[in-house]
Amino acid sequence: MGEIVELNSVIDGEPVTCACALGDLTEFESVPVDRRVMVIGGGITGITAAIDLGNAGYQVMMVERLPSVGGRMLQLSETFPTLDCAQCTLTPRTVESGQHPKVTLKTSCEVEELKGEPGDFTVTVRQKVTYVDWNKCTGCGTCIQKCPSKGISLFERDAGRMTAIYTLSPQAVPNKPFIDADRCRYLTRGKCGVCAKSCPVGAIDYNQQESFFEARVGAIIVATGFDIYDWKNKMPEYGGGKIPDVIDGLTMERYLSASGPTAGKIVRPSDGKEVKEIVFIQCVGSRNPELHKSYCSRVCCMYTAKHARLYKHKVHDGQVYVFYIDIRSTGKGYEQFIQQSVSEEEIIYIRGRAAKVFQNGDQITVQGADTLSGRKIEINADMVVLAAAMVPNEGAQELADILGIKCNDDGFFVEDNYKLSPIETGHQGIYIAGCCQGSKDIADSSAQGSAAASKVQVLLSSLRRQNQEAV
Amino acid sequence: MEKKLGVFICWCGSNIASSVDVDKAAAEAAKLDGVVHAENYMYMCSDPGQQLVKDTITEKGLDGVVVACCSPRMHENTFRKAAGSVGLNSYLLEIANIREQCSWVHQNNKPLATAKAVSIIEGTLDKVKENLPLETITIDLTKRVCVVGGGIAGIMSALDLANAGYDVVIIEREPAIGGHMSQISQTFPYFHNVPELLKKKIDEVNAHPRIKVYVNSEVDVLDGYVGNFNVTIKTRPAFVDSAKCTACGKCLEVCPVKVDDEFNRGLSQRGAIFRYNQLETAKIPVLEQGDCLHFADSDSEDGGKCTACVDACPEDAIDLGTIRSLNEEFVGAIVMATGYDLYSPTNMPEYGAGKIPDVIDALAFERLLDPKGPTKGQVLRPSDGAVPKKVVFIQCVGSRDPERHKAYCSRACCMYTAKQARLYRQQVEEGTAYISYMDIRSDSKDFEEFVQKGMEEENLVYIRGRVAKVIEGDGCLQVFTSDTLSGRQVVIEADLVVLAMAMEPKAGIRELAKKMNVTIDGDAFLSETHIKLYPVESSTKGVYLAGCGQSPKDITDTVSQALATAGKIQTMFSNETLIADPLIAEVKDDVCSGCGICIEICPYGARLMNEFTRISDVNQAVCQGCGACIAACPNKACELINSTSRQFLRTIGDFASRSEAV
Repeated sequence: MGEIVELNSVIDGEPVTCACALGDLTEFESVPVDRRVMVIGGGITGITAAIDLGNAGYQVMMVERLPSVGGRMLQLSETFPTLDCAQCTLTPRTVESGQHPKVTLKTSCEVEELKGEPGDFTVTVRQKVTYVDWNKCTGCGTCIQKCPSKGISLFERDAGRMTAIYTLSPQAVPNKPFIDADRCRYLTRGKCGVCAKSCPVGAIDYNQQESFFEARVGAIIVATGFDIYDWKNKMPEYGGGKIPDVIDGLTMERYLSASGPTAGKIVRPSDGKEVKEIVFIQCVGSRNPELHKSYCSRVCCMYTAKHARLYKHKVHDGQVYVFYIDIRSTGKGYEQFIQQSVSEEEIIYIRGRAAKVFQNGDQITVQGADTLSGRKIEINADMVVLAAAMVPNEGAQELADILGIKCNDDGFFVEDNYKLSPIETGHQGIYIAGCCQGSKDIADSSAQGSAAASKVQVLLSSLRRQNQEAV
Repeated sequence: MEKKLGVFICWCGSNIASSVDVDKAAAEAAKLDGVVHAENYMYMCSDPGQQLVKDTITEKGLDGVVVACCSPRMHENTFRKAAGSVGLNSYLLEIANIREQCSWVHQNNKPLATAKAVSIIEGTLDKVKENLPLETITIDLTKRVCVVGGGIAGIMSALDLANAGYDVVIIEREPAIGGHMSQISQTFPYFHNVPELLKKKIDEVNAHPRIKVYVNSEVDVLDGYVGNFNVTIKTRPAFVDSAKCTACGKCLEVCPVKVDDEFNRGLSQRGAIFRYNQLETAKIPVLEQGDCLHFADSDSEDGGKCTACVDACPEDAIDLGTIRSLNEEFVGAIVMATGYDLYSPTNMPEYGAGKIPDVIDALAFERLLDPKGPTKGQVLRPSDGAVPKKVVFIQCVGSRDPERHKAYCSRACCMYTAKQARLYRQQVEEGTAYISYMDIRSDSKDFEEFVQKGMEEENLVYIRGRVAKVIEGDGCLQVFTSDTLSGRQVVIEADLVVLAMAMEPKAGIRELAKKMNVTIDGDAFLSETHIKLYPVESSTKGVYLAGCGQSPKDITDTVSQALATAGKIQTMFSNETLIADPLIAEVKDDVCSGCGICIEICPYGARLMNEFTRISDVNQAVCQGCGACIAACPNKACELINSTSRQFLRTIGDFASRSEAV
């Protein structure tokens, strides 16, 4: 049965190059529909669910909006509370998802439409353009070396600049580049074409068109993750993104990362000088119902403590201040991690919200209050790191509308029952896991990923039994 | 015959090639003993790279391969699969790690880094020369599950597994399933009715044809290994025949014993025969042998004589002669959902717990809130039954106190305290609720809003500080604390004090963990394999962890974990047999003296003394190839297959001779 239809090639009446490259669908369609699952989102939650299901014999299609999988975890340097290297923990999993015979990666893809019922959904997926024919590309990287354009990359955030043709990370899965159309000289000005000329296999295709395909699946897991609150536009009190040495926590991860743009050195974005005094501000945009988000983002207390400790490991004579409202270290070993940070690493915690951050000559001044002493505090620092609130990834509401599930006012997907059905949605056959349901850390996300894999197996195996009995 | 060896050196883009001269390394490698082919390629793990390896194996008839690239944790499987696909035994391919262990750490000295890379390759080649072709080990799989603990974690895990078509046995120590959740009134942050939610799940368990519940039961002995566990279950006698009992309650009226009811945390009394809890599902009375006069010491008054309940029972359902039973269950996987206890308030003499009747713990307060509880849901003081006008809730009692009590945070207390205070305020309009806290930890979806609402709409008074002591004053309790925000000492006169005690692992967990062969941490919580990636896998294959036995957490997180264990087990059960790596220990029969040191040292229980030969055998299905027994054996009688001492020594020899040359 030809279930995969190249819709636009039919519509246009003439063949166009299909952007979809890897992930041939023959394997995926080799099993009945009640043995096929779609996972939307290729972060740690989606990967965990996909590998669990793949190992259970299901054919899994993992649909990822970005050109490669790994999600936010790939941007992290180390993880709390063990200070394990995030890449070393994650890359074996991303590689496994890429090589698993039962997992088909569909990157640069987004879900457009849903039809059908639990056990037999038909999902229309939009394959976006990458301007690189991944069937030809060998991942040699020559194009990346030759590209003359440099700019902000999705992956390195403000910490580093990337060429206009690039892979999200050096360990990207799939390890094939894509072109950022907004920055590509050829696509914006019609002149350049260096990558096309340098590609030894002729994989660059500036005329690539987006395409659509349909996939029939028995169940869907939504694991679309989180983004960082738009503090640059919404929080002028912290410089509104105009002070170069005020960065957010995710950007700090890139500075701390050994494979990051500064090879793990903590230097000021403005002048590359080593940072000797650093201020971390927690609850930036969180716990602020009047102006921003009312909820707590759950992980900031821990990752800030981690940032502070990693910074101290790199800059022994550096001084760290952390502004906090409450320290929330509720997971296994978390409280002990904080206690160690305070007692052994001499990190100074100041209870209070920072009121204002502004450039003051060569340094940045942070004004706040210490609510324990009741005094006003002013600190001059080289760098300020904002633990900005976690928000659902862009497009969560649209996806919810497509899938027939609900979002709460903050845009997080709503579970069926908070206590006993945290994975189920109101729509049978569609399950939610990870930070798209609410802020949480990696441990809780990956547990939910496996939980979603369980729910899918329970549903599809009971449907199969019912069908057998009916026969 | 000497093996024909091939060497494939990966550039890893520029990761390796920028600090290792890959052309030179390949040329050097080609000169090494036994090497018939050596080349380099930009991305050996890419499809064309793998094809290169496969084609060369076929063309040159290689019978040993070294791929010099990144850590084996990244791509050992990739290349072994590729080799296997063209007929070379996978275990004749080895990875030489020249990225993490060479190029990344020697970025400034290309000649030396290149020399080191070559010596790593040479050492690995020497290993491959002596590698044996191996087959994976196949293990039988019993597709049944044993869930230890019938709280909400055990219930949710069992239901998913049973609904997926697998038989499940639940072992519950108490007389009924439901766990601590059955003591709770309403949930945070949405005030859902807990008995209603829970009853649905308990009914589902009891009605499920695939779930068998052993109440009053504990694991006696665990034998076997992943896929093939044999659990011996010890069941205390029930004394009441549930088939005959009509739950008329006559026995309850006549029992002369009066003891504190643990379920109601001592807020009410019960007989030796009693209903375990108020749920519909626990209507049949249970008899606690330890409290019953019939079983009491015969020296005491009435000792051994009382048969009041037996005489009163119109259905002849009570048989005091019932004895404990032992049952065996064969299962392929185990879920440890053993839950928590509250740290005993008697550890906190400064708060008067245990001495002052109006100082109670949080679970006792839940019992006061339960419409079917000892006060029919009225918040009343235990001492005199009056409605308390001022209630002080103290958080972090025993938690976050590394010097004297528990270092960890108990995670759920901030939220249940806010919930209890709000429920109290909703019931007692003129009452005041004070909450003593260190940090408010409302860190999940809608939690922060829940606490905010409590402050704004129910006027909860939060005081940041640690309570120093609680004493009995004139008709009230005096709570001495400090407000760290104003820097002042505060004394609150209260009618009732509620302690949010730390959660700790269930009593007896150390012994149970030993029986189940799972490791525990310093606080006796069960240890997971990897906190981020394998949060529900224990140190023993086939044994999974869910809920508060692993660390304190709320119901939502407990349920997520429980479902995750069900997912992992379904994945495991999707195959007919299990496959294990053959890279395990083996014993030289003629060298082993049967001293048994390896048996003691093995962390997996994989070594067993053969009663007939007096030689220590290796259980292939259990051995993880960790090598502990090899280091411990005084006679050098064990070896790790394909990582023998001889292979290691040759590899080290290569390094030593090369480093002299450098």
